[in-house]
Amino acid sequence: MRRATHRLMLFAGLGLGLAVAGCGGDENSAAVPSGKVSGELTMWAQGLEAEKLGAMTKQFEAENPGVKVTVTPIPWDTAHDKYLTSIAGAKTPDLAHIDTTWNAEFAKAGALETVPDSIDAGRFFPSAESTTEIDGQRLGVPWYVATQVIFYRTDIAKKAGITEPPKTWDDLKAMAVAMQQQGGAKYGFALKTQDWQQFLPFVWQNGGEVFDGEEFTFDTPEVIEATAFYKSFFDEGLAPPSTLDAFDPAPVFVRGTHPMFIGGPAEVSTVSELGGKGFADKWALATMPTKDSGTSFVGGGNLVVFEQSENKEAAWKFVDWMSQPAQQVRFFEESADLPAVEDAWNDPALTRDKNIAIFGKQLEDTKAPPAIARWEEIGSMLNTEIEKALSGSAPPEESLQGIQEKAESIGAS
Amino acid sequence: MTASAASAGRRRAPRARSRLDRHVPGWAFASPFAVILGIFLAIPILASLLLSFTSFNIGNIQSWSSARFVGLDNYTQALTDARVLKSLRNTGYFVGVGVPATIALSLALAVGLNRVVGAMKTVFRVGYYLPVVTSIVAIAVIWRYLLAPDIGLVNSLIERVGIAGPDWLGNTKTAMPSVIAIGVWRNVGFDMVIFLAALQTIDPALYEAAKVDGARGWKLFRFITLPLLRPAMLFVAVVTSIAYLQVFEEPFVMTQGGPVDSTLTTSMLIYEQGFRFFNLGYASAIAYILFVIIAVLAVIQFRWLRPQS
Amino acid sequence: MSVAQSRAGRATVERRATAPEGRIAGGQRPWGLYILLGIGLVAVVGPFVWMVLGSLKTQGELLASPPTLFPEAPTFDNFTRLFERADFTRFFVNSTLVAVVVTLANLLFCSMAGYALAKLDFFGKRPLFGMAVATLMVPTSVTIVPLFVLMGKFGLVDSYAAVILPFAAGAFGVFLMRQFMSGVPDELLDAARIDGASEWRIFRSVVMPLLKPGLAALGIFQFLATWNNFLWPLVVLTSEDKYTLPVALASAAIGQNRSDYGLLMAGSVLLVVPVIAVFLALQRHFTQSIAMTGLKG
Repeated sequence: MRRATHRLMLFAGLGLGLAVAGCGGDENSAAVPSGKVSGELTMWAQGLEAEKLGAMTKQFEAENPGVKVTVTPIPWDTAHDKYLTSIAGAKTPDLAHIDTTWNAEFAKAGALETVPDSIDAGRFFPSAESTTEIDGQRLGVPWYVATQVIFYRTDIAKKAGITEPPKTWDDLKAMAVAMQQQGGAKYGFALKTQDWQQFLPFVWQNGGEVFDGEEFTFDTPEVIEATAFYKSFFDEGLAPPSTLDAFDPAPVFVRGTHPMFIGGPAEVSTVSELGGKGFADKWALATMPTKDSGTSFVGGGNLVVFEQSENKEAAWKFVDWMSQPAQQVRFFEESADLPAVEDAWNDPALTRDKNIAIFGKQLEDTKAPPAIARWEEIGSMLNTEIEKALSGSAPPEESLQGIQEKAESIGAS
Repeated sequence: MTASAASAGRRRAPRARSRLDRHVPGWAFASPFAVILGIFLAIPILASLLLSFTSFNIGNIQSWSSARFVGLDNYTQALTDARVLKSLRNTGYFVGVGVPATIALSLALAVGLNRVVGAMKTVFRVGYYLPVVTSIVAIAVIWRYLLAPDIGLVNSLIERVGIAGPDWLGNTKTAMPSVIAIGVWRNVGFDMVIFLAALQTIDPALYEAAKVDGARGWKLFRFITLPLLRPAMLFVAVVTSIAYLQVFEEPFVMTQGGPVDSTLTTSMLIYEQGFRFFNLGYASAIAYILFVIIAVLAVIQFRWLRPQS
Repeated sequence: MSVAQSRAGRATVERRATAPEGRIAGGQRPWGLYILLGIGLVAVVGPFVWMVLGSLKTQGELLASPPTLFPEAPTFDNFTRLFERADFTRFFVNSTLVAVVVTLANLLFCSMAGYALAKLDFFGKRPLFGMAVATLMVPTSVTIVPLFVLMGKFGLVDSYAAVILPFAAGAFGVFLMRQFMSGVPDELLDAARIDGASEWRIFRSVVMPLLKPGLAALGIFQFLATWNNFLWPLVVLTSEDKYTLPVALASAAIGQNRSDYGLLMAGSVLLVVPVIAVFLALQRHFTQSIAMTGLKG
């Protein structure tokens, strides 16, 4: 049902996009060329993806002789700042791999090229696609997605008398309490204190929003209620009182002191590695619990082409190629990054692993943070203010009132 | 100053020079530096000073001239921004505790090390200098492990004597002291080497003379070492203060300014505003407020610690 | 006091031998002191040792809780991965090239400027020095973007020049060298001037030889600072083949959600070894050198 509605909106959006972008006759008309492309392409990418891109670019070069793709790796933690500086100095590459939350910001800076219509928006998960749509224009293409689910210790839960994964908010709370009191764990749920990525899903699950497209809505009842629920874990001693940004739940999950946490695909491999042999049946994944819905956060990486690129045809061809199901599956096999293209999920590579299957199921219900230019600043403010709200004694209404004011003074764009 | 003491006997250069000629050698020698300073330092600084009077933000990134001139608005906003004020307090805390601690510790170390003989001297010297040269990234990883609440080494150790250690980096009351301790630990080697060098210049004959008069240990330190170290003290105090007032790396990498902004320093705030959010106008204003503070402190130190001649 | 000071000062200028060792009469060793210093040394060197040992551990072991000291199964895997991952020899060469050039440039230009500021009189001398010191007080975060734009206009983005030129003559070096130069007695200079030597000759043959230790000090400071410089090279270099070591390491080891600690440790070890080597080589001069910074009065 939801998917159909989204597709309808997308088609409407596409129509708008067609009207805005103008069709045909434009010198710089961005349509994906059907033939082979040539020339040089510079691409910046971060971390693991930069490393694994090599395999993909080699294949692309083989299929398009005459093209040379150079991938420059840059570090994740300072990448955002480097991109902005490069935009300011007008020294951008042809294309880049960026975090989904930066798309709106770079678009606002006027640095990005609109996506050609031949790259069909419907291929992607709607929530991933939403990160690329700014002011009715498509300014990026989802590449891979990352979502978060609940990790929990089945053995500790069993000891506490629970054999089913938590399905509702009440289940979740009860499970945390039980694992702490009867399961012998130090905490019930290792929630982070300053991470809007963990906080926002609870807002969405409660049917709330923080941005309605025009204004911020932090002081609405749904958000207040969600905050109270989140805070209750801390007030009741179920969650550790404070966590550093660099807090890694995996070691303490394996140790058993923190038997439940929210994590993504990367944590799956870390937990397996740390747990070693025989640990596999002591833990499991579960999709987010439901209140109004069981929505989780979606992030990941997008591909963007810069306005100053001198080889846009080749750039878009590459982007289009990367979002074919075959390539999406191949990249998943190389990097374990989840495909952003829905059809890719039919491939056995993705259906055979039970953990991946849970992520796939969660992807049916995810949301991304608002695609606004100032999200970087808003998110940072949220992290600080949530931390204050959780550790202090002020009632949630008051904290959220403060957050609302701060958000309004920062603005959306 | 030795120069002025010695100048009493200076002979004048015999050849008369024309007024302009006199300046040429000076400029010739100074020009490479002046050029580099002028182009790569002065211009960006001037640019950022100008920016501080505008509302430049990410929307202006493609066309700089679209930024609006706002006069002193950024400055007044900064001085009434709770977060800016908090960062100034935090920075003050760091400097107020860190500078004296670093200087005192490094001086003690230098004095102690000066009495060490032979190969051990080099071992100690290199050892204490190690934190200065090690990358902050590695240091952060290590210290985060050491100070982790449940599994860290520090708490495991003190647990053995029955004390339950706090979450050093996660507790608002212990986070800043921890960061200060790490900062001091990291930088003490730098000041120590400077003091070590200065100590070498003290004529041992002075000590012998004093000992003949019956002075020992602490008296020797107080009446000979300390006064003769005054100039070194000035250099160390100024340099360390300037550096600590701009402290960035340690809190940035260790705690990212948390928890709840308790380790947020002004330099970090400037980076965040200017570099991450691209509010270059606002960030520059904060930077120049910090600059004024640094300059004032430096002047005070120069007045207070200037060598009596 | 001033007589003693000037006597000490002059003695230092002429002295070349190392400071007298073993000040305690009778050759007694202060064992209490050694023990105290030794404990301090453990605190200071301990984390470093942990880092070196950590470079030989697996990611799993690095994340283990409680943390281990010695690696269970020491492996050079992190190092091999580092070198496989990208051409780390190349980054090493880049860092060395940049650090050496910047250091040499500083040694030359800063001593020249220091000499001018300390010993020569010229129009604008005080403002120049004032500006130099003032630039030390401006936080670099706000100057990076304007400097980058400037580099762009010069067409120097992504070039070795971009990471060398802005640092080729630092205010810190000039300040330091100026202090050094003040310690050189004017009589020496005047004597040479009377003999008809040009300023450059005086600078090269009279002053510089006296400042060998001072140059060593600046050399160490500048090499260190340039070698570990991260933010500017990150921003201004856009092709991987020009990357310096800290940038390359961060790119390789820091992930979107988690970091590769094994790589980080191995890379950090690689980063620190040359710096320690340079320090060890020059630290003998280093101690004597600052003797001349006018620090003694």
